[in-house]
Amino acid sequence: MTAGEMAKAPTLFLRNATGLVKGWSGFDAFGYSFLSVNLVTLGMFYSLAVFAFVPDGSVLSALLLSGVAMTFLCITYAGLIAVMPRAGGDYVWQTRILDGIPGAVVGALVGGLTVYLAAQAFGLDSTLTLVGGALGVVAGGLLGLKRGGIGFVLSTTGWWFILALWAPIYGYILNIEFLQPLAAVSGWADGLAFFSSQTGTFVVSLITIVLASGLVALGMAGYARIQRWSIYIGLAALAVIFVLMAVSSQDSFKAAFDREGQALFGVTGAYQATIDNATTNDGFVAGGSPLDFGLGGGTWLLLPFMMFWILYPNWGATLYGEVRGAGDFRKVLNGMLGGLWVTVILAIVFVLLAAKTFGWDFFNATNVNFVDWAYGYVTVAPAIPIWGYPPLLAAFLVDSHVFQIIVVLVFGVWFLGWAGTLWLSSTRMIFAAAFDRVLPEWAARVSERRGVPWTALILIMIPGVIVSYLYSFQAGFSKLTLDASLVIAVTFFGTAIAATILPWWKRDLYEKSPIVRYNVGGLPLISIAGAITTIFLGFVLYEWLTNALYGIGTGNTESIKFLAVLYGIAALVYVVARLYRRSQGIDLDAIHAEIPAE
Amino acid sequence: MRIFFATDIHGSEVCWRKFLNAGAFHKADVLVMGGDMTGKAMVPIVARDGGWRLSLQDQEHVLSTEDELKAMEKRILDRGYYPIRLSPDEVAAWEADPSLVDARFKAEMMANVERWMALADDRLKGTGRRCVVSPANDDIFELDPIIDAAELVDLGEGNTIELDGFTMVSTGWANTTPWNTFRELPDEKLRPKIDELVATVADKHRAIFNFHAPPYGSNLDSAPQLNADMTYVAGGRALVPVGSHAVRDAIADYGPVLSLHGHIHEGRGAVKIGRTLAVNPGSSYEDGVLQAAIVDLDSKKGEVKHYLLING
Repeated sequence: MTAGEMAKAPTLFLRNATGLVKGWSGFDAFGYSFLSVNLVTLGMFYSLAVFAFVPDGSVLSALLLSGVAMTFLCITYAGLIAVMPRAGGDYVWQTRILDGIPGAVVGALVGGLTVYLAAQAFGLDSTLTLVGGALGVVAGGLLGLKRGGIGFVLSTTGWWFILALWAPIYGYILNIEFLQPLAAVSGWADGLAFFSSQTGTFVVSLITIVLASGLVALGMAGYARIQRWSIYIGLAALAVIFVLMAVSSQDSFKAAFDREGQALFGVTGAYQATIDNATTNDGFVAGGSPLDFGLGGGTWLLLPFMMFWILYPNWGATLYGEVRGAGDFRKVLNGMLGGLWVTVILAIVFVLLAAKTFGWDFFNATNVNFVDWAYGYVTVAPAIPIWGYPPLLAAFLVDSHVFQIIVVLVFGVWFLGWAGTLWLSSTRMIFAAAFDRVLPEWAARVSERRGVPWTALILIMIPGVIVSYLYSFQAGFSKLTLDASLVIAVTFFGTAIAATILPWWKRDLYEKSPIVRYNVGGLPLISIAGAITTIFLGFVLYEWLTNALYGIGTGNTESIKFLAVLYGIAALVYVVARLYRRSQGIDLDAIHAEIPAE
Repeated sequence: MRIFFATDIHGSEVCWRKFLNAGAFHKADVLVMGGDMTGKAMVPIVARDGGWRLSLQDQEHVLSTEDELKAMEKRILDRGYYPIRLSPDEVAAWEADPSLVDARFKAEMMANVERWMALADDRLKGTGRRCVVSPANDDIFELDPIIDAAELVDLGEGNTIELDGFTMVSTGWANTTPWNTFRELPDEKLRPKIDELVATVADKHRAIFNFHAPPYGSNLDSAPQLNADMTYVAGGRALVPVGSHAVRDAIADYGPVLSLHGHIHEGRGAVKIGRTLAVNPGSSYEDGVLQAAIVDLDSKKGEVKHYLLING
């Protein structure tokens, strides 16, 4: 046999047995990732609308740096999937890897920081704050020492509790990108007034909760088809809008916006009025260009804003199957990276087209004008009463309200394909914790007829409704929006640490895995990617917690209290579960105790 | 009485060894292996240029010493595959004639289980611990007499086994799958088989079902949905129930105290169906992790005291 023949020789002889499948489509991995870093729903409003807040930041650099940073996150998660392809994702990885000294260090860090910041937020004096922080270090350290503790806290907060805050955020996106534009363009003034009100915000949040729950109840099999068509239709719609923007001049857009501003809202000279309003009320400074390229301080300050949108290419991290190889690692990674980088490239194209057609000053002014008002940073209403939703702005270039309504309706697929991701993973995390006996067994019950996880859904829906109420009616609560990303980032931070130490801390597990072949300079690729991700997320978390720019750090005591309550409840649930199970004669430590083979 | 139940280890050497040691480690009185013990793949190790070559998990390996070869064979066995030393000519012959592959598979499966039974007899000697092994749908019929011949292992399939006031009945037969494996029956034919087994149990409420197939729609049977070409729907995230209606109905009709299942590796969990605790510990044998259920039964009251799903 020649070397060439050897290369073609079979590497595995398989027999017919249950569970052996041919694999899965790379498009599925791409699709889930692509919709999770959703350019239209998350990107356009939450990340690409904030450039005015960091005028010295380089937009192109920030977008590219975000893509690079998330590339390492993708490598980290694809690696963990290859090592442990298990339902439960972060929960399983952290509870299996983070124990002993590393677990104690992560626990001490989270515990100490949480209690220290909470003590400050509640106004305790410096001595009590320090004592509280020290107690947090000890309690968190003890929690992390045993396998399962810190993993439960980090994954419960990131995959369950904080999803309650995402409910009104999803609802708000549905409101400003779909319902309000439709009401405005169709001339339904009462509808626009209702959707813009507190009650309207709450009602739309409830609709979103019902929709997200319904999609979970429908099951992923049905929803997968919706997602696939959402991608096709959404991309086609985006292409139409991009072409429209590319072939139109800034003057024609200015005329179109002024025309619609007058027709829909009775605002004369709406284009300039928007810039003037932002300059007067929002401290907006005209100038700059998205083509400015640099790595100055402003660019780095944009990164935490970008994370609200681009942090989740790994959202569908749990896949299944057997007889895996390194090929699966590459396929998972390619899917995630495809979703990430196609989105980054589309974002760059969008920003450049927005600057060309809308005008860079107008684009930033209309965003800052609305965002400041929507989140209560100013009390003066924006020049026009709805957000300058980019697809609608582009649709204004065609003087037809029917066309504009069609554009808004069709772009709704970006929301539809994305809404089902809200709670799907949360139910899996609740199941995993219930099977580990940390949560009661009824939490994992499913309906007999259709297999719907009603109990888990209710456990998510109830806090979702409560938080939606607070978001809608309590002044200032919506400023906690970035907390929704912060808590998830903390979960990813814990997983990145677990990935970094995996080759040494759980050597057997790593050495049996298909990714053992991937090394750079003699170091495991997963450790390098995990370490870079840890450092990057550490930087982002530091900025979120300390820089007033983001509105959720130490300068916002409500935010800190909110975070402390989340982590406190998670830790409390775990401790109570341990004590309760012990009283039943069940030792939770036995869950992860490795049985000797010899 | 404490039962340690594991299943679907698919040839993983390290998982079998952990299973045998689990009794002492977790202070279990009875060890139950729920079936699908045999591996699904053979890894050819080809002699070439005075050394050996193979590919494992997409990685090429060139081995030059016997020690390296033995270490690699252990690694392959731990993963649940069978390492097969072959010459280049034998590889060519196997490719040309699939019946050679089938014959070798059968030989490997039987030899491996024979070796495992000898190891079980050795490790269980003098412990007083019971061990029940029941082959399942992926296991060839030739395994049953090998297990039956083991001194300290009880063959589960088709037998009624008394365990400290409880009665265990076992079958590895499952409802039909797309793979058309060895022990499959449509639900309407599976139910009479189950009824025949349960008829041997005096007190149905003190029965322990050890049925490989999980009950339909119990969440213990949620498996990734497949397309017609055997690829995953939605990247494996679309889960559908694939369990047995016959098993579900039997549990509902007879109300055993405990029902042990496997088959669906992703279906890890525990649910109550009427008065019955039904568990599927799932499987992650390729990682070398033994997923299992520990169930404590109260022999006096005839009920489950508590249970725990573990990753050992």
